[in-house]
Amino acid sequence: MPLAVHLDHVSKRFRLGSQQEYGRLTEAVARQLLRWFRQPTPSATNSRMRDGWFWALENIDLSIESGQIVGIVGRNGAGKSTLLKLLARIITPTQGRVGVLGRVGSLLEVGTGFHPELTGRENVFLNGAILGMSRREIRTRFDEIVAFAEVNEFLDTPVKHYSSGMAVRLAFSVAAHLEPDVLIIDEVLAVGDQAFQQKCMGKAEELRTQGRTVLLVSHNLASVANLCNRAILLQNGQLVDDGPPPQIIDRYLRESIGVEGIKKWSLEESPATDRYRLHSISVHSHSTQDPPRCDVDIDRDILIRIAYEILKPNSSATVAIRIRDDSASNILWSTNAHSMNLGTDDCYAQSLKPGLYQTTCRFPANFFNDRRYFASVSIGLAPGIVELHEESVISFHVHDTGAMRKEYSGSWQGPSIRPRLEWRSAPLPTNDFDSEGSAQP
Amino acid sequence: MAIVGEKQTIRYYGAGDVFGLSQVAEIWRSRELLFSFFQRDLLIRYRQVIVGVLWVLLQPLIGTLIFMSLFFLLGTKAGASNVAYPPVILVGMLCWQLVANSFRDATGALVNYRHVVTKIYFPRLLLPLASLMCAVFDFLVGSLLVLPTVLLTSTTIVWSTAWIVLPISLWLVLFCAGCIAWLSSLNAHYRDVGYALPFVLQIGMFVSPVVYDFERIKDSLSPNLHYLYEANPIATCITAMRWSLFGTQPPSLPGLILALSLTAIIVFSGLAWFRHADQQLADRI
Repeated sequence: MPLAVHLDHVSKRFRLGSQQEYGRLTEAVARQLLRWFRQPTPSATNSRMRDGWFWALENIDLSIESGQIVGIVGRNGAGKSTLLKLLARIITPTQGRVGVLGRVGSLLEVGTGFHPELTGRENVFLNGAILGMSRREIRTRFDEIVAFAEVNEFLDTPVKHYSSGMAVRLAFSVAAHLEPDVLIIDEVLAVGDQAFQQKCMGKAEELRTQGRTVLLVSHNLASVANLCNRAILLQNGQLVDDGPPPQIIDRYLRESIGVEGIKKWSLEESPATDRYRLHSISVHSHSTQDPPRCDVDIDRDILIRIAYEILKPNSSATVAIRIRDDSASNILWSTNAHSMNLGTDDCYAQSLKPGLYQTTCRFPANFFNDRRYFASVSIGLAPGIVELHEESVISFHVHDTGAMRKEYSGSWQGPSIRPRLEWRSAPLPTNDFDSEGSAQP
Repeated sequence: MAIVGEKQTIRYYGAGDVFGLSQVAEIWRSRELLFSFFQRDLLIRYRQVIVGVLWVLLQPLIGTLIFMSLFFLLGTKAGASNVAYPPVILVGMLCWQLVANSFRDATGALVNYRHVVTKIYFPRLLLPLASLMCAVFDFLVGSLLVLPTVLLTSTTIVWSTAWIVLPISLWLVLFCAGCIAWLSSLNAHYRDVGYALPFVLQIGMFVSPVVYDFERIKDSLSPNLHYLYEANPIATCITAMRWSLFGTQPPSLPGLILALSLTAIIVFSGLAWFRHADQQLADRI
């Protein structure tokens, strides 16, 4: 397969601090003179901040062949978006060079290049032209684009009246139908609903089978695991690992979420609305008294504990958990509502005082399979009304201890869950078949 | 289906040549996009066609009327030639509005489309150029006023040289293109450029023969100052345009050469600077 993307020892730095803000021409003249004497050199220092510069990426060497779907994983600020912007030619590398085969379609954030005053139809043509399509090409694909985006009725409405979901659907549709040789996607899929996300995944897969290359940044690790056939891990602006997605995700989780099986936020970083603030989410085996862990035994109960703060008086909290497996399949969704609760939750549907609360969900032992799972958490006023949602925020790996395989030594690979169910067999009276048969005239 | 025809070798994003001439080829390749940008700007402005066209016609017309009455009240003549004042000032106003509108719109072009520039790549020079195209469009619409004005004032047009208006207009547009390459990218990096511009334009209007003609002030300037004045391509363009249409006094040869060389310097340095500024545009804008 020919090389589709090549980053040749690429580094990128940004100005730090206030100087980077819109400067004045007069100040700049003096600074420019000084800058000429100091050429940037990437040194071996660990710090990413040197001499007033922030090195977003350092010495990235990456080759991607046509037909690969590459997921880029890394924490916030690891340089993922910078990498995509370099590929999309939006920014130029400080050092090294970037090469791409053929046309590049990029979808960085919502509504790329949409003009609010223009109608959907006018924007499709404009956006298509920005992406490099000729008017003829756009006209031939126009119906396809609109059908995919499902915005038929709104075509002649100015885009400023669109919902963000509609705008992103249309933007994705234009980008995907450009038939780019390289498609770059950054997080946008998070905006669409479940059905549209599935559709996008399908489209990305279709592009891959046509021998095109897709690069994807997503916080939804499950979708990276499911869709990509290669993943790279960025850490502090450096490429630290490259390989099959399960292995990379495993390493990323081990290093970022950590072995302790807990996701804890600092006050500034914690996801919050004006009603709720998330404090931590942790996975425990057997009981919440035990320390959190991300490797859990299959024959123990698994508990997911959500610690959160209620900020507004008289708020009730409905906590929901969604579990996906490592192929991004949706396995279950549950909330602490009474009808979905085996036990009792005294806080459910009560108006609660501001303060700290915890909600724990217990999954029975011998329920999950021997694989990795991702849990998403949401909090809202009632089931289905989501105020705060954290997608695939924590993951845990269920390990087969042999408790369920005393009689069977084959593989359990495939099914998403492996619950221990009740089975019973008994001999039937011999006249049973006759009576059944004779009952039908 | 698949793009088979395209060459199957990897293409490295290059900065292009130092003089930024590769940008010209790039713009030519993406002329469809340039037209789309132009169309969009136009569409937004002319959403209500009648109002849009009226506005474009009113601007030079009202300008002309104001200065006509001003000089009438002052009791002086703004022109030294025998040609009626209204067509002379109208030509000046139209040219000046081309310059002022293109400078004003193009300076903000990159900054106003920040959300596009930081999300997607396309030759960025297209944005200020689209603003320039809009200004040219307005110029052409406004030119429709010249004929009625000439007829009303029964001015004689020198038909043998009238065609020279076309190359002169092209020259003026080229000069504007060079300037907006500078202005738009400078404004993206340094916001004070945008603040200074209205002030500069105000001065520019009076150091160019927009509301008077060059012959009128020629005698009060020493020869050196005289050439300096003519080195301003806007001044020389307007003077040359009046000469070609109405047979007034043409610009002097040294002045013409100075203005042309200044235009060339601005256009080439503008291209080179824009290429340089473009490299850091998304970081800085």
